[in-house]
Amino acid sequence: MRLEVRDVSVFHKNRLGIAHANFEANEGEIIGFIGADGAGKSSLIHAIAGVIACQGEIVFDHHTYRSCKEAEPLKARIGLMPQGIGLVLYDLLTVDEHLRFFADIHDLRRDDAFEAYKMRLLQMAGLEKFKDRQAGKLSGGMMQKLSLICTLLHRPKLLVLDEPTTGVDPLSRIELWEILEEIRRSEGTICLISTAYMQEAAKMDKILLFDEQKIIAQGTSAELLKTVESLCYDPDTPCVEPCIRTLQTLYTLSPLEATSTQTPTLEALFFVNALRNGKTMPPIVLSDKKKSDFEGDVLMDAKGLTKRFGTFVANDNVDICLKKGEILGLLGANGAGKTTFIKMLLGLYPIDRGELRLLGKTIETPQDRQALKASIGYVSQHFALYNDMSVQENLLYFASMRGLSSETANERIKRYAQELGFENYLNALPPELPLGINQRFSLASALLHEPVILFLDEPTSGVDAIARAQFWELLKCLKEKWKIAILITTHYMSEAEFCDRVVLMRQGTKIADDTIEGFYAKHPKARNFEEIFLEYFR
Amino acid sequence: MRVFWTVVARELVRFIRSWQLVLVVLYAFTMEVYIAGSGIELKPRNVAIGYVDESGGGLSQKLLHYFHEPEFLPPVAFNSQTALSQAVFDKEIVLGLIFDEDFEQDFRKNKHATLNVLLDATAASQAYTTLSYLSNIVLNFSDTAFSVELVTHKLFNENANNATFMALTELLSITTMLSVILTAVVFVKEKEDGTWDIMLLMPVNAKSIILAKSFSQVIIVMIGIVISVGFVVFGAFDTPIHGSFFAFLVLAFLYAFTGAGIGLFVAAIAKDVMQVAQLSVVIMLPLIFLSGAWTPIYAMHPWLQTLSLLSPLRYFIEGTESIFFRGTPVLELYPYFLGVFGVGSILYLIGFRKIGHLF
Amino acid sequence: MKLSIVKAYVLKELSEIVRSRLIVMVYLMPTMVLVLFGYGIRMEVTGARTLIIDYDQSHYSRLLIEKFTHSKYFTVQKELRLESEALDAIHRAQSDVVVIIPESFEKRLLHGQKIQIGVFVDAAFPMRGSTIESYVKGVVLNAASAIQERRLDRDAHTIAINQRTLFNQAMRDEDAIVPGLIGLVLLIAPAILAALLIVKEKEKGTIFNFYASALSKAEFIAAKLIPVFFLHSINIFILFLWATYWFDVPFRGSFWLYWVASELYLVISLSIGMLISIVTRTQIVAVVLTVIVTIIPGFLYSGILMPISSMVGFSRYEAHIFPVMYYNHILYDVFLVGEGLASEKTQFYLFILAFYGLFLMGLGSLILKKELR
Repeated sequence: MRLEVRDVSVFHKNRLGIAHANFEANEGEIIGFIGADGAGKSSLIHAIAGVIACQGEIVFDHHTYRSCKEAEPLKARIGLMPQGIGLVLYDLLTVDEHLRFFADIHDLRRDDAFEAYKMRLLQMAGLEKFKDRQAGKLSGGMMQKLSLICTLLHRPKLLVLDEPTTGVDPLSRIELWEILEEIRRSEGTICLISTAYMQEAAKMDKILLFDEQKIIAQGTSAELLKTVESLCYDPDTPCVEPCIRTLQTLYTLSPLEATSTQTPTLEALFFVNALRNGKTMPPIVLSDKKKSDFEGDVLMDAKGLTKRFGTFVANDNVDICLKKGEILGLLGANGAGKTTFIKMLLGLYPIDRGELRLLGKTIETPQDRQALKASIGYVSQHFALYNDMSVQENLLYFASMRGLSSETANERIKRYAQELGFENYLNALPPELPLGINQRFSLASALLHEPVILFLDEPTSGVDAIARAQFWELLKCLKEKWKIAILITTHYMSEAEFCDRVVLMRQGTKIADDTIEGFYAKHPKARNFEEIFLEYFR
Repeated sequence: MRVFWTVVARELVRFIRSWQLVLVVLYAFTMEVYIAGSGIELKPRNVAIGYVDESGGGLSQKLLHYFHEPEFLPPVAFNSQTALSQAVFDKEIVLGLIFDEDFEQDFRKNKHATLNVLLDATAASQAYTTLSYLSNIVLNFSDTAFSVELVTHKLFNENANNATFMALTELLSITTMLSVILTAVVFVKEKEDGTWDIMLLMPVNAKSIILAKSFSQVIIVMIGIVISVGFVVFGAFDTPIHGSFFAFLVLAFLYAFTGAGIGLFVAAIAKDVMQVAQLSVVIMLPLIFLSGAWTPIYAMHPWLQTLSLLSPLRYFIEGTESIFFRGTPVLELYPYFLGVFGVGSILYLIGFRKIGHLF
Repeated sequence: MKLSIVKAYVLKELSEIVRSRLIVMVYLMPTMVLVLFGYGIRMEVTGARTLIIDYDQSHYSRLLIEKFTHSKYFTVQKELRLESEALDAIHRAQSDVVVIIPESFEKRLLHGQKIQIGVFVDAAFPMRGSTIESYVKGVVLNAASAIQERRLDRDAHTIAINQRTLFNQAMRDEDAIVPGLIGLVLLIAPAILAALLIVKEKEKGTIFNFYASALSKAEFIAAKLIPVFFLHSINIFILFLWATYWFDVPFRGSFWLYWVASELYLVISLSIGMLISIVTRTQIVAVVLTVIVTIIPGFLYSGILMPISSMVGFSRYEAHIFPVMYYNHILYDVFLVGEGLASEKTQFYLFILAFYGLFLMGLGSLILKKELR
């Protein structure tokens, strides 16, 4: 069984999705799609899954297709998980019903072997306890995992996953890889996976690097890494040539004479490629803040916050405090109660028990919050933008809600568009854009009014490496220059390293709260934060 | 205030972007109103008459002369009663007349002549009016020596112009439906898409957002009303207006706002667009029906009459009729304004509480 | 067709409908509409609010007034002296009709002279106006001939009407309206439910499951429509029971015919909803469009308000395009007439319904696209 993609181009109406893509995959291979947001990964994925017509031809198992109709006979053997959180789920069905539904539409016999496999998938996703919960009430990460196991359920011969691990915690990602390994070994499944996690990409048999609607490179992880060898240096290395400097690394076009070389990761591909295209990261310039600052050091102080949904305790006695000019990472498995906690802080869920002080004010009634709203910024997991307005209009609208004058708003939008890299998309409608791009202007909209506290719920999920680097640069700048306090959740463990302090949550309770240095001191053997994280959750 | 207008502008832009929606709304306000006005007659028209004449005489033919167009189609002769009743069964004939052998003789001899009539009463309203036409014709005929003449003045709508009336009724129904549904969906969409959470975090007054959103839909409906009145009611049907057009616009505006209030109420209960669709139909149908548009309110069940006091459409329809046909002076229209305004205010209070409590 | 897949979809749709509490609406709405309208719509104008100005104040004029007082069609509010006062009442919509008996009514009557009786009718609602007018005429002529008979003490040349009202002998409004309402309800309720089924998935993104699965277009449509079809099939019986037991509408035809025709009709209204769901891109358009193409035509072209034969121009065509007319013909037949399939017209209409259903379904699966756009 083989998959061949020959000179495939996809057009969305008149817009080019992907041009002249060529690659081959053999039985049991896992192929990774990586590349900047909007580089054409999803277009190719849709064409291969047979949900959009294309030019050129795709051959799978000796069957050639280029239109949806021609792909029809193959659909029973193809599994597609589209990009986007909970896109294939029905809010009102429970987890278990989803599995049964997907089993039935793929005509699976529900025998013992199936039940065992199902249990295995559920355990992998950590959903076995939530079998009877309706999908609409799951957290974003859990939805993502449910979509994933629904796709895996019928053991397709060709598995096409579009960013399946976006928003999924590290533990589940490891489990997922075990399952993929097993499936491909026992069934010879071909897996095509796009991902924003470069550690995952490293595990693939072959990687396709996408840029500007083309596949610009393909090969094994090692082969690709070789191309950027000796182009990565420690961030403080001096350099006058064109280069990109992130918090962790300095990327250059040609080798420097410096000695502080770093071993490259796949992320380096993005940066070096950007440099080759003559792009650099725009420097972040923050104007001085006009608003007077809040006097006092502790911006947010939560004591014993508790939230129950029926009998389920989502947050149990959580104490967290957030100081001025501090970035606090809130980490934990999917469904640990991170989003619930943030929503309580924001007043989107009423607080069942506990005390909350925001900017020195005790919050008891909704009126208490009204005055504070101007000082708070929030990016939600399901970024909420109006789908029928362009990016620019969305941002202008939110700015106007915040009472900004249109000149200020336009100026700031322009600046963030540049810094977060979405200037080219200002006139597009959000549903037409990749997840990563949408995520970027959600963030911009939360920053427009120059808040004092920022609550960011997985702001970087699915965002490409360059944008993430730029984003963290911006956060650091905000913290240092404006003394903003930031509470952030993320599933990129490497990002935890940029935080000042990290709180770990498990099943609604806080299990650890320390500075990054503190964590490393407690776990001297750990090489990176992922290992520390796994220590706590294994 | 700036926030208010921003929200309004945004909702209008959204509406215009959805060309499908614009088309559908335009169609409703123009074609639907036109079709209803031009084609629907509530008086009998083209009633098919069949007869069997066994009397073989002049009297029956004379009588038949009275059944003329446009109310009646030219009477069709049948050979036998069986043939006639078959035609009535097949709904080809609505009114069947049977003149039996003695009909003329009896009449001439001053006895009571009997005219047998078959009437298809499945469409009751037509049946009633047809029957009373018939009895008037026959009564008129009975003794021509005796003369009482009715001098009827049809007030307000001299030609009993049905087109105008139907078009207006249709316009009012469409106004109701659109103001309710459009508004309800605007709110529920935000709930469904999760954008409501973001709105809740904005440092703005909940009430002004709710009002702005309703207002934007009211504007859409008002534009529809103006187009409809301009092109269809005045343009195509040349309806005279006896009262103040401005008063009508104010009343329509208040009513559209109340309709939006109902939409707000629906949005407060509904979770998604699916439920909005079902709920608004459940609420709108009684509303339209209790308004007196189809059945005069005084002819309803007493408890329905009481219930109809709650229907803002009732005040709107009565007010509109008064403005267009009766030419009631503006000052005397206050009950209608008060009625619409009162019902609307209550709905907004509920809406503010239900939707705004999250703020 | 893979039945197991369709079954899975059907079960899913069913549990979604039950969980979202739409099920309440599925059964509440038709019943509510039937009961409310069945009680409320009155075709017969009774109790028109009447003002009588009697300038004559004679024996005969009182006789005439008495005729008005005894007629169920009129509610005599007051006997007034002043015309202006009466007209004012009409202007303020407090009265519907004013009857003015002239000064010399009795005298002229006795001398066999021509009498003019003035009538003012509120014709803002034209049909009501005309009806009231002819009722007034009837009462006056009736009274006059009675008076004359008494005066001349002999029978006048009269024609009595021996009226046999077919199908609805008692001329009950319920009998005339309720069957038509069933046609209306079974058009609106299923269409509105079906209209959102597909467009909802498009808006949410779950439509991907269909795009990426081996499910054929026909199977998908079947899977979407079957649950709604079954749920609303129960309404066919519920509505039947309301009509016959609660409203005492006679049922003269064959229940089988009623059942089969209703199921066919259900397929049609579901298909209308489905078509809307396929062509629209957002739920709101789907809702508004469905409401506009079902409620208003359902009302106007059902034959409840006026027979199709009386329509002219475009609405006559529109009436023939909408399926309501054909179904309502069969409905009235089974409830009131009872001819059933013996009538060729019924056979033909049943055939039209079946054709209509097939046509819409075919059209739906033709224009449904199984790919991203």
